[in-house]
Amino acid sequence: MAAPMSSVGKPSAERSPFNTTSFQKKTRSKLISIPGTRPSVQNGQLLVSTGVTSLDYLLGGGLAVGTVLLIEEDRYDSYSRMILKYFLAEGVVCRHELFVAAAQDNPDDILQELPAPILDDVAIPKPVEQPRLSVEPQDSLDAMKIAWRYQNLPKVQSALASSSRFGHYYDVSKTMEPEIRQAAKCHRFYLPEQPTHSSPTHSMRLESYSALLKSLQEVIHREGFDVAAPMSKSRNILRIGLHSLGSALWGDDLCCHDKPRNSRALTTFLYGLRALLRSSLSVAVVTLPSHLIQDRALMGSITRLCDNAIALESFKGSERETNPLYKDYHGLLYVRQVPHLNCLASKLPDHKDLAFKLKRKQFTVERLHLPPDLSETVSRVSRGELAAAATAASAASACGSGSSGNKHLDF
Amino acid sequence: MLTELLQGTDAGGFLLIQDSTGYCGRHLLKSFIGAALNREEVVHVLHFEVSEEELTDGLKGSHIQRLHFHNAYTDPLGWTDHPAFTVHQFTLEELAHRVKQTSHSKPVTLVIDSLSWVLRHQSPPAVCNTLQQLRKGGAVRAIIGLLHADMHQRGTVGSVCHLATSVITVAPGMKGDEAVAKLTKRSKSGKVMQDEEVFSIKEDLTVMVQSRPSHVGGRQNDAEEQETDPTANLTFNLRLSDTEREAKEKLALPFVFSREKKTALLHSGPGSGRILYEPDANDDYDQEDPDDDLDV
Repeated sequence: MAAPMSSVGKPSAERSPFNTTSFQKKTRSKLISIPGTRPSVQNGQLLVSTGVTSLDYLLGGGLAVGTVLLIEEDRYDSYSRMILKYFLAEGVVCRHELFVAAAQDNPDDILQELPAPILDDVAIPKPVEQPRLSVEPQDSLDAMKIAWRYQNLPKVQSALASSSRFGHYYDVSKTMEPEIRQAAKCHRFYLPEQPTHSSPTHSMRLESYSALLKSLQEVIHREGFDVAAPMSKSRNILRIGLHSLGSALWGDDLCCHDKPRNSRALTTFLYGLRALLRSSLSVAVVTLPSHLIQDRALMGSITRLCDNAIALESFKGSERETNPLYKDYHGLLYVRQVPHLNCLASKLPDHKDLAFKLKRKQFTVERLHLPPDLSETVSRVSRGELAAAATAASAASACGSGSSGNKHLDF
Repeated sequence: MLTELLQGTDAGGFLLIQDSTGYCGRHLLKSFIGAALNREEVVHVLHFEVSEEELTDGLKGSHIQRLHFHNAYTDPLGWTDHPAFTVHQFTLEELAHRVKQTSHSKPVTLVIDSLSWVLRHQSPPAVCNTLQQLRKGGAVRAIIGLLHADMHQRGTVGSVCHLATSVITVAPGMKGDEAVAKLTKRSKSGKVMQDEEVFSIKEDLTVMVQSRPSHVGGRQNDAEEQETDPTANLTFNLRLSDTEREAKEKLALPFVFSREKKTALLHSGPGSGRILYEPDANDDYDQEDPDDDLDV
């Protein structure tokens, strides 16, 4: 269309003399622009950051709106709780709404422990090529004495991060300011405070999950997160954090018995949750104490019902704590499932053996690789042991020598 | 760490002693009762497995008046008409009511001997719920429970341990009256501390902690490689004295430039990487005839 029809009917006096053309681009895209989201480069889904940039990279750029992320907790629930707090803190910084449900701790306690965002600078110091001689700190040139020509070249990144500034960084040693936190709207669900109105014969497990699902549905409908709601007002995302679902405090005996009596309560809830999320602008993160669940088939069906699934294994208390292979890291991370939404195949992460470490300003997930082989004779024995440990830990190891590394080749 | 745990748990703490048939954890439980009494706390003991006389054996002194027993030993399942305490009365309301009757506004420690009895007759989620609400509600200050780990499924034991702030797993030790305790403590900030100690309990119920257990099997030795100093035991000198080290640092290396030259080279403007080359007569590279310069 050369000229839009609206300008034909206008008298010529109304036309601005500086306007050379009154052509207006027709935007056909239905993508709603919500702060804190961006469309995925792979399939155009609207993505939301989890708060941990390494995890965003693993999940294909971020969490798609309308999906569930399942985190299988580590033994003492320290790192999975940390990721949940990152997720909620990211919601506060992006001005999304929050919904927190817990049975063990009060949601207010969880919200008070959110880490403080680092708002002004990037955490990773990336050296940038500066064409002009800017004022530089003197000690940066002294950092490399002999190889100073390599000073300004970027360092090799073994941390997984995507290049755009989609997520934010948080300082774990400080908690978020109350002013920032109170600016975000939070909905709470604390199971002991919910009224129990059921007959004694009705099993309590279904009661807690159905109350949670009802509360979620009510919040989504009331605050206008339905996709079918009128598009008149500005849209926002609801971030749902469910802490330690399936534990005994929710009334579920999934973790207590080898053959739970009503094993389908949690799976029914997850099915209903996913159906609710698909029809609304919300994202959910669910943590589950999977180390207590003895039935592996049930664990598999729970994993299938969630879109994304990762598992954390911390080294605290296991014999891996003293293993020199793992001394830089706090635990291992397994990606159990990556979703394929509206497509046939999904982007799997390139590396299967991943390890994480929690630093003060960053939670990094890195590829686990063997340390460099520095000396000839000493490490030949130890390299075989380390390689055997690595292959025992993961099916596809980086060096792939298997357990035959112990034998020396003597000619 | 065992002595720290004996000296007191913070408010809202749940300490779990896990034992097995190899070593009975009741002696350690009695030490904890004795330590709590010494700290001037009011202790309520809910006993299912042994009688009151057996529990007070060894606890002496005037502290006994702060010790209150809830007898669930004689009739735990309510077979007679007037049971003192049945296992079905293990609920929040009942326990809070009983504890409030004799508290006199002092901090109350509830000791349960043993949780295994309760878990056998009530569903584990209900028991976990009661314990959690007792802790959070403020009715009792701390809970100490004994659990026989070999009586339950792994998931049940795991669920109860997941609730606890400190877990002590006791096992028989090498010598006769010694035992090995594996301790795990979770602090409020989320930090987890672990320890393993050998201890023995004396007649007056005080705990003597001995040294750490020696690891059988040399697992630790494999992990730590002995670093031998290669500069030792040589006929020539490979080490540096301090003056020699200073002189080495002062030596100007051939390609070490001054700071200004470094910055000039590092931040050179565009086009500094050009190679200016004028080809001379010998570089006449003719594509057609490669053997043009052969003098044959």
